[in-house]
Amino acid sequence: MPPHRCKHPRGAMPTLLELQQAMRHGLTSGDDAAACAYVISDGLSASQRLDVYRNGFLSRLTSALRLSYPAVHRLVGAEFFEGAARLYIADHPPRSAYLDEYGGDFAEFLAHFSPAASLAYLPDVARLEWAVSCAAHAPEAEPLDPARLMELDEAQRARVRFVPHPSVALLQAGSPADLIRRSVLEQDDAALAAIDPGAGPVWLLVERRASGTQVERLNQAEWRFTVALCAGLALHEVLDATYGTEAGAVLARHLAAGRFTAIRLDDHHDIEGELST
Amino acid sequence: MMGKRAVPHAPVAPKARGPIPAEAGIGLRFRHHQEVLESRPAVAWFEVHTENYFGGGAAPACLEAVRREYPVSLHGVGLSLGSADGVDRVHLERVRGVIERVDPGLVSEHLSWSAVGGAYLGDLLPLPMTEEALEVVCRHVDQAQSGLDRRILVENPSTYLQFRHSTIPEWEFLAALARRTGCGILCDVNNIYVSAANHGWDALTYLDALPAAAIGEIHLAGHTVRELEGGRTLRIDDHGSRVAPQVWALYAEALARFGPVPTLIEWDTDVPALEVLQQEAAHAAASLQASAGRYADAA
Repeated sequence: MPPHRCKHPRGAMPTLLELQQAMRHGLTSGDDAAACAYVISDGLSASQRLDVYRNGFLSRLTSALRLSYPAVHRLVGAEFFEGAARLYIADHPPRSAYLDEYGGDFAEFLAHFSPAASLAYLPDVARLEWAVSCAAHAPEAEPLDPARLMELDEAQRARVRFVPHPSVALLQAGSPADLIRRSVLEQDDAALAAIDPGAGPVWLLVERRASGTQVERLNQAEWRFTVALCAGLALHEVLDATYGTEAGAVLARHLAAGRFTAIRLDDHHDIEGELST
Repeated sequence: MMGKRAVPHAPVAPKARGPIPAEAGIGLRFRHHQEVLESRPAVAWFEVHTENYFGGGAAPACLEAVRREYPVSLHGVGLSLGSADGVDRVHLERVRGVIERVDPGLVSEHLSWSAVGGAYLGDLLPLPMTEEALEVVCRHVDQAQSGLDRRILVENPSTYLQFRHSTIPEWEFLAALARRTGCGILCDVNNIYVSAANHGWDALTYLDALPAAAIGEIHLAGHTVRELEGGRTLRIDDHGSRVAPQVWALYAEALARFGPVPTLIEWDTDVPALEVLQQEAAHAAASLQASAGRYADAA
């Protein structure tokens, strides 16, 4: 029957907050006794009615994870992925409705998920996929014009710090996660079979270019140099440290690829704007 | 407080500024982005889910390109107007960012809630129809409209349960919300059909109770019928098929009451070829045209 201004028949009337907390508990834990007390059965049990929403909650968030982790999904298969995702979702519901940001610690979850223990490289592939997903959705930013560096005198150049493009991420993986991810996404079984999962570690740079997201392999020295630059160390600090690499050439490559958006001369002052005028 | 209005991301110079026309539009999904940009199909307008364009990259760039050719409406699924513990300010600011980027003709949200205690529950969850809930939703619609500097439309949801302590019929709740906040109503005809069937409501009573002047948009979509024990059925709004014949009939009833209103074909599960969506839009366009004639005759 429609709720035509009827008095509710039994039980204390919950506040809106109490009701929503009970629904949350029911959806995430599966224990919906508290929420059921507030729901009219009417030919279908309260629990069955709440199931419709529980299924919506789980399937929508599982889809969000599948979109961010397509290679993990293929590696473990749909059924295993769904099972892992359901456990993860129950313990880690999203903090916001911006689902492109959901699932950042799924790799950490997989690292401690014993049924996946035989796939030691799985957390590495997940971490790489998360970096790629973040790069795909990172905010737009104009790359730094390398000519700006030429406008600085030598002393200023030594003190300069670089602001990385929001899409740039650097990660180190114990296994060749880049090769595994690529062969899985390309469904190239022969390539996947040829990969030695122990052939690590690898040092990776992830970014979004005009053509889309890219994963580039660096050597260890280039990677450590780039990490230091992206962490905002002053150029002279980075150059003074012995990374054993052709620092100038690597810096030039990053500048040409648009991996920085601004330069600063100290910790607080972004001079990219004033130099451009 | 909301921050100062930011400079738009990229200059938008749409050919098709202004409101969404009282014609049939299509929900634009990623699958059709490229095709729409390449073939420029004859579609009156497009609607997108706001949350899919919060970030940077290819999707928002594509939407901006579409916007230069078509009117675009933004349909949110995550503002959670019915949350007891408040509207997420960061989310509202992000919606505002997309509005500044896209210059939409309409902005809409749902009569539902999705978040509590800092957890987003990924679905449009039903509200108890109580005075307390009405006050909460009114407060949040006020916040959204002042934060976004514009009127929003609020859509009736499909529901699969009712709460024991509800005291207000949903149609009266929605009408009161529009009256108190000045918001518009996005009348989802499929949702009315689904909820009415699930709860034994009279769909025409629902339509009759809505203030015609507040109806800013209509949604049409497909739903599935789940057979239950004892010969009962539960209708589920899954946006995964063509609009049901009974929903087309109810749509005609809605147009007879509201006059021609911008009407959207939504399809989110197993999204078909664009051509199928255009066929559904053509069906809606024919109803709109018939209604325009009748409406003019009556006036």
